[in-house]
This record gives sequence, C-alpha cells and structure tokens, in this order.
Amino acid sequence: MDQNNSLPPYAQGLASPQGAMTPGIPIFSPMMPYGTGLTPQPVQSTNSLSILEEQQRQQQQQQAVQQSTSQQATQGTSGQTPQLFHSQTLTTAPLPGTTPLYPSPMTPMTPITPATPASESSGIVPQLQNIVSTVNLGCKLDLKTIALRARNAEYNPKRFAAVIMRIREPRTTALIFSSGKMVCTGAKSEEQSRLAARKYARVVQKLGFPAKFLDFKIQNMVGSCDVKFPIRLEGLVLTHQQFSSYEPELFPGLIYRMIKPRIVLLIFVSGKVVLTGAKVRAEIYEAFENIYPILKGFRKTT
Amino acid sequence: MAARGSCPGCGSAALVEDAHYAQQQLVCAACGCVLAEGLLTTTYADEEHLREVAYSQSTGQKEQLSRCLQRGIRRVQDLCKVLQLPTVFEETAVSYFQRALQHTAFHLVSLEKKELLGGCCVFVTCRQHNWPLTMGTICSLLYAKQELFASVYLSLQKELGLSVPALSLADLVKTHLNSFRLFQHAADVPAPFVEDKEKMVTRTMQIVELASETWLVTGRHPVPIVTAAAFLSWQSLQPAARLTCTFARFCKLAGVDLPPPAHLRLKELLEILLRMASQLAWLRVFNMDKKTVVKHIGDLLQHRIFLLKNAFCLEDEEEQQRAAAPGEGSAGPPPVAGAAAQEEGCPSEGKRQREGGPRPLLPPCLINPRKRLRTAAPSASDSAITGDEPISDSEIKQYLRGPEEIRAFRKAKAWP
Repeated sequence: MDQNNSLPPYAQGLASPQGAMTPGIPIFSPMMPYGTGLTPQPVQSTNSLSILEEQQRQQQQQQAVQQSTSQQATQGTSGQTPQLFHSQTLTTAPLPGTTPLYPSPMTPMTPITPATPASESSGIVPQLQNIVSTVNLGCKLDLKTIALRARNAEYNPKRFAAVIMRIREPRTTALIFSSGKMVCTGAKSEEQSRLAARKYARVVQKLGFPAKFLDFKIQNMVGSCDVKFPIRLEGLVLTHQQFSSYEPELFPGLIYRMIKPRIVLLIFVSGKVVLTGAKVRAEIYEAFENIYPILKGFRKTT
Repeated sequence: MAARGSCPGCGSAALVEDAHYAQQQLVCAACGCVLAEGLLTTTYADEEHLREVAYSQSTGQKEQLSRCLQRGIRRVQDLCKVLQLPTVFEETAVSYFQRALQHTAFHLVSLEKKELLGGCCVFVTCRQHNWPLTMGTICSLLYAKQELFASVYLSLQKELGLSVPALSLADLVKTHLNSFRLFQHAADVPAPFVEDKEKMVTRTMQIVELASETWLVTGRHPVPIVTAAAFLSWQSLQPAARLTCTFARFCKLAGVDLPPPAHLRLKELLEILLRMASQLAWLRVFNMDKKTVVKHIGDLLQHRIFLLKNAFCLEDEEEQQRAAAPGEGSAGPPPVAGAAAQEEGCPSEGKRQREGGPRPLLPPCLINPRKRLRTAAPSASDSAITGDEPISDSEIKQYLRGPEEIRAFRKAKAWP
C-alpha cells in the first residue's frame, strides 16, 4: 500500500463486484496538470511541489518554447514552416536562455509562491469562518472580580476554570484564565480577531487590572467553500488512501490530511469542503487549489 | 481418573485423583487411604501423562509481559474466537495491540480505553483483510459507547499510521444476510415468508449497487441501507404473499435489529425505483405507487442501466431539459438563464421538475437542502478593519457594571 505509481494492490483483489463502487471513475484525474512523461502521483509525493508551482513551471516551459520559435521565425531562415522550427527546438539541445523542456520531476525546486494565479485556478475562494487566537495579558487576574464587575462575563468554576466573556462587535467569545492568558474565538478575519482581543484587554484594564497586550498569535483558521458538484467519497478514499480517512459509520464526511500545506480538509458528498488547521490565510487558499483538481476528477462518474 | 501405582495399605490398583476442597489428593478407591496430597503438577508430570506442554508455559514467555498486556492479549484472542476469525487475524491483532500499548499515547489510558484498544486492533485487522466487520458489532461485543470507540479508533489509526481500506459493501451484504433467519422453515415463520438465500443475496446486492450509483450510500451508515435493500428484495421475490408485511415485522421475523435510518433509506430507494418505473414502456400505463412498484423490481433491476440514464439527467443536459420542460408556448426559454441557474443549484431545478421530467442525479442532501442560515459574505466595512483602530471608552463602558448594580448583584448572589 506504499506504492504510488500503480493501482493500489488491494483494489484488484477486492471481493466486491465492480458495480458496488462506481466502475467508470478515471482513477487518475485527467485534469491533473502534470507534464507528459511524468507518472501521475498523489499531491504530496512530488518533492514538496504544489499544483500551483507545477502549473507555473509548465507555463514557463510553454512560454520558453514560444519564445524560441518566434525568435527563429524572425531570423528569416527561408522556406521553413514554424512547425519545423518547433520540432527543431525539441530535438536540439536546450537553447541558451530557455529552460529545459522536460525537467526531471525529482529535481527539488525551491517552492515559489506564484504572484498571479495559475491558468487553471478554480475561481472559488474559500470563506473564512472562524479564527482562534491567543494573547497574554501579562498579569494575574482575579476571575471572581471580573465576573462580578463585568456584564458580559460568565464564570462557573465547577465547570470550567476560566471566565467566558463576549462582545458584540466584532461578535466573538473570549476565555480568560487566571494566569492572564486569553483565547479569542469567533472572528471572521485576522484583523477582526486582533481588534476583538484588544477590546477584551481594554475591558480587563478598565476593571482595574494592569493588562497588557503581549504575544498576540493566530493559532487556527477555519475556512469553507462549495465546489458545486457531488463527490464520490468512496472513489476518493480508494485513490488517495494515504491521506484520506472515510468511515461512514462514524462521520459522513471524508477527512483528508494534506501534507503540504499541513491542513485537514473535511470533504462531504454535497461538494462542501471545510478546511482547518491553518496558521495563515494563504495556507487555506493553497490547500483548496491543491484539492480542487483532485475533486474534479471525481465529478462525472455515471 | 485412574492413576498408576498401587495402594500401600490394601494393595489395590484402583487409585483415583480426587480433590479435597482445593487440594489435589491421590486416594485409594478401595480403602480410602490418602497416598499423596498437594502434588505440584510440573511440566515433567504433564509430559509423563502424555499431555502437550505449551511453549509459552515451559519457557515462561508469558511472565515477561506485564499483567495488563497479558490481560489485553487474552481479550483480543477471545474476541477473535467469538467472531470466528482465522488464526492469522489473531496474530496480527495481537501484534498491533502490543505495538499500540507501547506508544506513549496509549500507555497510560484508563482500563476501559485499553479494552477498547483491543477491540480496535481486531477491527483494523478485519478491515485490512476485507473482512466485513462493522463498528456496531464490536461495540456491542465490548459494551462500549460508540463515541469512545470512535475516538480510540481514530487515535490508533493516527499513532500507528495504519492504512485502513474502506468497508466493502458486497461482503457486508453477504455477512449481514447470513444473520437473517428467513432461509429455513421455523415455527414462527409462515411458509410463504421463507426464501432461498442465493436469490435473496443476489437481488439485495443488485439493489445496493443501484443505491450506490444513485448517491444513496455515500456518507451514510451502510447497515440501514443493506437492511432496507434486503427487505425490498425479499418482498419482490414473492410480492403476492409479502406485500402486506411491514418493515418492522420483517426485521422481527428475520431476527435482526431495525436501525432507525432504515425507514428513510427505504423511502429513498422506493422513490428511485418509481422514477425508473416511469421510464419503462410497459409500466407507464400503470399508475405506480410505493406498493405496486415492488412487484416489478425484477424488471427494473434487469434494465437498470438504461432506465437510470433516462430517468435522471446529468447536470449538463439540464439546460436542454429546462428548455423542453413546461414551456407553455414561450418560444425561447433563455438558455442563458438556464446556464446561470445551473451553477446555482440543482435543488431548485429538482423541485420544479420532480413532477414532470427527469431530475438530476444528485445526493439527497442536495435535492432537499435544509434551510440554513447563510452568513453574509464579509461586507466592505468589515474588510476595512485593520485591527489597530482606536477603541472608544463608551463602547467598553457598556460592558461594565455600575456600582449600584454591583451592590445589588452582591446582595442577590451572596458573593463570597
């Protein structure tokens, strides 16, 4: 089950008839933007390259080829059609100033964040639903005093050892511990989370404690989106077995643990995807761009 | 039991091994003389009496393991014996259990969880060999709560890095139907209800395949679907006698539990079958309903590929369907609107077309979307927040209690 190149061995040995799992799914998605000659492989085994970087590399290759043909055409060698030039560039050694046409997939490339989206981006942007952040107020707090003197606080020491405070704008909830550490949840953007945490700190200040605002850090970001087509989860767990966990007896969605970036995706049959575990917004976007071509491969199955 | 030797008292050879309370004694049957008591059985003694000595006993292998581990291994072995699994499964499960218990994540968990861990190892082994064992079975054997089992199972999968293949539906069908008691004549089962196992298994398999092709299986618990499919196939094999039997009664006769979602699965399956029946030429004349369609399940299954294609359209063809659908004289239904609406939602299409022509083949959660509060996309003012804006005092003051309020609160709550 460690082989990535061929159909997983147990799929051939499955006792279930082909009809039980949809027979017609293309096992390796034709939409995957890999260059010719490369064996299709699941996302993270290509040496820390993400799909976006692959696409950018291909774009560069195509641009290079076009560049070289146009150069040769303008040089005016008579009688030769552009196709011949093209074929000439294929057979000759790489021209100076152009990248090699088929670089080996194993050469590790330093991952570049593309400035412009690749040509085959999904067009769907995941929406952030929740941000969890922590901050250190820098002083010990008396939770009973806070609960007594603040309107928006609830404190039940038998149930939980922190004060739960809420503010209306931005609509968030904070857990304030007696050590002075605070967790802020419920914001929809990083800036909102920071503003909310500052408001909580100001409330604590006004209650008489020397609160500061130290080490504000975003711990987790959750995003969600909809790919607008139903997904065959059984097929997805067969082809991406190393990263997927699909237990319909436990949970109706498929849990996909992406390695690069390190994000957990919950994929549902309705096409809705929840992405979580990110520390920065770009990780969520990158993870979705990685998963979208995989999901598209499971679209037309009947 | 006769032992060797003769009694020193009377000389008879009738020596018997008898226990006096907990002590083993060698007694003469003739005169009652006690020859020996409290004999320690050694391996030599066992071998003398031609009894096999296990390797683990003679080498003290078991004593090297901790008692907790020993108990857990025994539990795993017992589970495998109860489930009648091949011996190879037992060894694999025991090895997983030993590996897991050495892990820091599981070394110090409660005894309850350690027992569940043993069950999880058996479960994982069965799945890896495509042996269709459901979590429900293991939980009922261990008297465990499903959520606790789920959490132990997921952490075991993560810690040991095990790859567990998906449950194969075909094997589950066969195993589940094995537990049905309708294949032999019995006192409480009326004669027309008894069915041939092979026919029922084949037909149930076909119905389950149909369900998986029409999105009824993905994301749902498999057992209710198999139960509902078994009921439909059983009814359709002899509809005359069996149409009057309800689902609940069927499950009681068969000796299986009726899981609550099974009724909904049955309804969904019947809806799919009704749609397919509307496309079959010689059935279109009849007014099919949920009861009558059962009689024709055989035909429907035989032509299912053709019927599915006609009864359900793919998303692309929706525009043409909409153009052809109740136009009411309007000459050019705008295909632009069709294309735009296609992106947005098959649910609205489905509702409009359910009475008439084909509906898109989609999972039920998309056909009947539950009304859900849509959180508005972040507005312009929200996105203008920088996080470093000044915070007004009045805004903070609204969250603080005034002195009278504090006094009143203190009095009311008798704040310590």
